[in-house]
Amino acid sequence: MQRRDFFKKLGVVAAVSAVAPVMSFAGDKPKSKNAMSYATAVHAITGGKTAKKSAKVKLKVPEIAENGAVVPVTVNVESPMTSSDYVKAIHILASKNFNARCIDVNLTPANGKAMFSTRIKLGGTQEVSALVELSNGDFLIATQSVKVTIGGCG
Amino acid sequence: MAQKRKSLIKIKPKKFKDGEVVKVSFMVMHPMATGTTKDKKTKQLIPAKFINSVKFNYNGKEITNMTVWEALSTNPVFTTYMKINGKGKLTVTYTDNTGEVNEKSKKIKPKG
Repeated sequence: MQRRDFFKKLGVVAAVSAVAPVMSFAGDKPKSKNAMSYATAVHAITGGKTAKKSAKVKLKVPEIAENGAVVPVTVNVESPMTSSDYVKAIHILASKNFNARCIDVNLTPANGKAMFSTRIKLGGTQEVSALVELSNGDFLIATQSVKVTIGGCG
Repeated sequence: MAQKRKSLIKIKPKKFKDGEVVKVSFMVMHPMATGTTKDKKTKQLIPAKFINSVKFNYNGKEITNMTVWEALSTNPVFTTYMKINGKGKLTVTYTDNTGEVNEKSKKIKPKG
């Protein structure tokens, strides 16, 4: 490696490490009015019913997320999606974010397939869960822990 | 108050038949600020600005409606499935916590 190449690479490393801390989790000092803990959020959705763990709900999240600001989440639910038996709603929750609720998706039989995918922010290592509401009033849940190396202000 | 935002509706596969179930993605350029982060230079809190509602309308019928919170990433993507049911238009309406309302639509032409 030549001397000038070395300095070029050093510059890139310095730039990356200067940008990274900007994305760090801001802590719990400024509180959002939407703040809600995981247990409260689950209770608000289910209304006191217990959610069963089920293999029908397939939650796909990376086990180790390098960047907490962009974590892809995919929820797939086995369901015929007919007018009598369909998935009513998919809720994505993150256990340690200041607002545990990420997104509530209300589906209809017109969707044809119960699947939802998006990208979420995670403030640190925590558990991501998918809470699924079926048309007959039952609740199913799938949970997976995600290790976050750089928090993402979420 | 409407503001011009870059957005895109993607349907996979591109060519589809009537009655087929297709994948629909909606992407939008949006800051999705949580309201808890500080600007590094000014040391001021960045005010919260995030999408709080997304609705998928197909031929005047609501097929999916979402309530969104702060925890979605910047420039969010919403992917779901949809059953094709004749010629028509898919309209996505999204609302902001500051009251910004926007719309994006795509014509749907099934072949065969």
